[in-house]
Amino acid sequence: MSANPSLPNNRTLPPKEYALFKRILKCYEHKLYKNGLKFAKQILGNGQFAEHAETLAMKGLILNALGRREEAYEYVRRGLRNDLKSHTCWHVYGLLQRSERKYDEAIKCYRNALKWDSANVQILRELSIVQVHTRDLVGYRDTRNTLFQLKPAHRASWIGLAMSYHLLKDYDMSFKILDAFSKTLTIRDSYDYEKSELLLYQSAILEESGDLQSAKKFLLDHERDIYDKYTFHESICRLYLNLGEYGRAEAGYRKLLSMNQEDGAYYEGLAKAMQIADDPAAKLQLYRNVERQYPRAYLPKRLPLDCAEGEEFLTYLRPYLAAALDKGTPSLFTDIKPMYQNPAKVIQIGNLVESMANSLRDYGKFSKDDEKVASASALLWTYYYLAQHYDYHRDTDTALAYIEKAIEHTPTLIELFMCKGRIYKHMGDMNTAAQWMDEARELDTADRFINSKSAKYQLRANRVEAAAAVCGKFTREGASPMENLNEMQCMWFQTECALAYQRLGQLGDALKKCHEVDRHFTEIIDDQYDFHSYCLRKMTLRSYMELLRLEDVLRAHPFYFKAARCAIEVYIHLYDHPLQNKSADEQISPVVEAVFSDISIIYVTYAFQADRRHFHF
Amino acid sequence: MTLGGGRTALGEVTTHNIKQLKKLNSVVFPVSYNDKFYKDVLQAGELARLAYYNDVVVGGVCCRIDLSEGQRRLYIMTLGCLAPYRRLGIGRLMLDHVLQYVEKDGSFDSIFLHVQVNNESAISFYQKFGFSIVETKPAYYKRIEPADAHVLLRAEQKTLRKTNEEQVNHPTVNGTMSNGPTTNNSNHHNPHQHYNGRAK
Repeated sequence: MSANPSLPNNRTLPPKEYALFKRILKCYEHKLYKNGLKFAKQILGNGQFAEHAETLAMKGLILNALGRREEAYEYVRRGLRNDLKSHTCWHVYGLLQRSERKYDEAIKCYRNALKWDSANVQILRELSIVQVHTRDLVGYRDTRNTLFQLKPAHRASWIGLAMSYHLLKDYDMSFKILDAFSKTLTIRDSYDYEKSELLLYQSAILEESGDLQSAKKFLLDHERDIYDKYTFHESICRLYLNLGEYGRAEAGYRKLLSMNQEDGAYYEGLAKAMQIADDPAAKLQLYRNVERQYPRAYLPKRLPLDCAEGEEFLTYLRPYLAAALDKGTPSLFTDIKPMYQNPAKVIQIGNLVESMANSLRDYGKFSKDDEKVASASALLWTYYYLAQHYDYHRDTDTALAYIEKAIEHTPTLIELFMCKGRIYKHMGDMNTAAQWMDEARELDTADRFINSKSAKYQLRANRVEAAAAVCGKFTREGASPMENLNEMQCMWFQTECALAYQRLGQLGDALKKCHEVDRHFTEIIDDQYDFHSYCLRKMTLRSYMELLRLEDVLRAHPFYFKAARCAIEVYIHLYDHPLQNKSADEQISPVVEAVFSDISIIYVTYAFQADRRHFHF
Repeated sequence: MTLGGGRTALGEVTTHNIKQLKKLNSVVFPVSYNDKFYKDVLQAGELARLAYYNDVVVGGVCCRIDLSEGQRRLYIMTLGCLAPYRRLGIGRLMLDHVLQYVEKDGSFDSIFLHVQVNNESAISFYQKFGFSIVETKPAYYKRIEPADAHVLLRAEQKTLRKTNEEQVNHPTVNGTMSNGPTTNNSNHHNPHQHYNGRAK
C-alpha cells in the first residue's frame, strides 16, 4: 500500500506523523496489529490529526484483521467520509469488503480507488484477482492489459495477460503473448522446470484451439526443454491419434508402456493406434505380446478378462482368479465386479469359483488335477469371494452360509465380519449390520478405514451418538468429535448424519448438517482465492487452469448432490407439513419459511446444474 | 519366510489387535481365558506374539516368567494355531521365538507348560524340541475331559548368572525388551493395521 505524501490538502501529514503512518502500513503488512494500533493512536491522539482519513481507514483495517468487524467498518467509513478522494481509503474499504466475500462491492471500491490513482499496481493486481475469482473474465482481461502496460518487465504481467485471453477462449492471442514472452527469456543451461511447464501450457492452448498440427509441431520442436516426460509423450500420442498418424501413435504408446505398464489408458491408446479397438481377438494377441515382454506386469493379465468371451474367457479367468485367491487379495471381488454387467460371464465366474471351493475343500488344490497345492488360506478367500458373489445377487441366505463357512475356517480375518455386516445391510437389517461392522472394528482398532465403516453403519442404524463416539477414537483429543469432523470437512459423515436425522424426524438437525456440507463447498471455492496470484508466480499454469475449471462445476460433485437432495426433501416436507403443536421456538415463522423456500430454490438450482452435467447417482 | 506356499511372520500383540488373539484362543483352546490373562499379555512384550500366514492371524503364543520354587522358569501359557494352518511350520515359528528369547536371556532354569494328557500331537511336537514329561497332574483342568495334564519341561543352561533381584524381574534382551507395553508400534506384517490415530 502506498500513501503519496505529495497529494494536497488534509491528506498531508507533517514528517513526524507521516513516518508514523508509514510504520502503521509496515505493521499491517507484518501482522503486528497491536503495534499498528499504537502508532495510529499516536497520530489520532493529536487533536490536529484526529480526523486524518487514511489513518482512520488503516486503523479500521487493522481492527478487521483482529476480528473486530463492526468497529472496523465504523473507522473505515469515517475515514472515507473525511476524504473521498483518497485512493488509500477506497483501497482499504475494498479490502474490507473483500474479506467478507462481498466481491462486487470490493470491485466498486477498487475502481473508485483507481479513479484517484489509476496507475496503482497493487490495487490493479487486487482488482484483477477479484475479477478472475468472480469470473468477470472481460474485466480481468482489461485489468491484465493495464497491468501489462504498466509493468511489461514483470513475468507475471505476461503470463496473466495470456491467461486472461485463454480464459476468453482467444487461443490465438494467448499463444502469441506467451510465444513473444518466451523469446524474451534467456536460455538457462540448467534444468528449468518452469520453462518446461510453460511450454506444456502453450501446447495445451494450441491443442484446445483445435490446431492439432501446430500443437504437435510445437511439442516436437521443444521436446528437449520439456522435463515432464509422461505429459509430453501422452500429449504427443493423443495428437498423433487425433491426427490419424497411427504409426507414430503406436510407437509413442509403446514407448509409454515401456515407462509404465500399469496405466490402462496406454493400452487403450495403443489399441486405437493399431486400429484394433473393436477387434477382441487382436487385442488379446496384443496383451499376450505385452505380457511376454513384461512378465511381471499386472494389467496384461487383467485386461483380457474384459474382452475375451466364452471358453476363451475361462482360460484367462481361471489362472487370474487362482493366483489372486492363492495369495489372498481382499479386493478381488471389487476387481472382478465390472464383469457382472455381462450375464454370461457372471454364470461362468460363479460356476468356476464354486468348483474351486469344492476342489480346495476336498484336495487342497484349485482343481483336482492340478499339481500345485494351494496355499492354506486359499479356501478361506474362495468362500469370501462366493459370499460376495451371492450377496451381489441378493441371495442373502447363500451369501450368509458362505461367510459362516469362511468364519469357521479363519475367525480372525476382519474382512469376513465386514462382509457379514454388508450382507445384513443389503437385507435391510441395519441394526445387525452395524453390530457386525463393529465386531470387525474391534478386531483392529488402529485401522481408520474400518473405524469409519463402523461409524457409517451406526448412522445407517440411526445411532448418531454411537457413530460420533466411534469416530472420536480418531479425531483430535480434547475436541468434540462432531465439531472436529466438521472442521476436517468430513462430508460423508455429515451427510450420513443428516440422513439419519431425517429418518428420525429431527429435521432441524438434518438441515444443520446439510448446511455444514454446503458451507464446505463455499469454503473450497473461497480457498481458490490465494491461488490466483500464487500460480502465476509458480508457473503451474496447467494445474491452475484445471483448478479454475473444477471450481466452476464444484457443486456438481456427488457429495453436494447427496446433501442437497436431503435438504430439499426436508424443506419440501416442512412446506407441506408445517410444524404444529410446538413451542414458539421450534415453530418455523413465516419469515423463516420464506428464507427456507429461497434456500431450497438455490439447492434445486445447484442440483439441476449437477444433473445437467451428466453426473449419475 | 515361506512355508507351504504362504508367507509367515510374527507380530506384536497390542491394545489394537488383542481382540484377534481372543478370537483365536476361543476357537483353538477348550479353556477360556479371563480379562486378567489378556491384560497381562499386553504387558508381556516379546513373550506374546501373533503368527501371520499370508497376512492373516492364524496363531498366537503367550508366556510368562515364573519365579516360584526359587527358580526362574519360562511358562508357556498358550501356544496355538488355527486348524487349517497346522503342519505349516507356524508352531515351530512361535516356539523358536520363545526358545531364542530364553537363550538370549541366558538366565532361565527351564521352560515348562501343561498339556492335556490325550493331546498326542502336542506332546510329540514339544518332544521334538527337547521337552519331556516330568510330571502328571490329576484333575488339572476344571471343565474339560480328560482333566489330567502332563507337565512338559525343557531344562536350560544358564549362561548368565544374575544376582540382582530387580534385574531378574526385569530382563533386558539386547536392550529391546522392556517390562512395559509396546503397544504403539505398528505391526509391519499385518496389512490391516495402519496406525494413523492420535499421538499417544
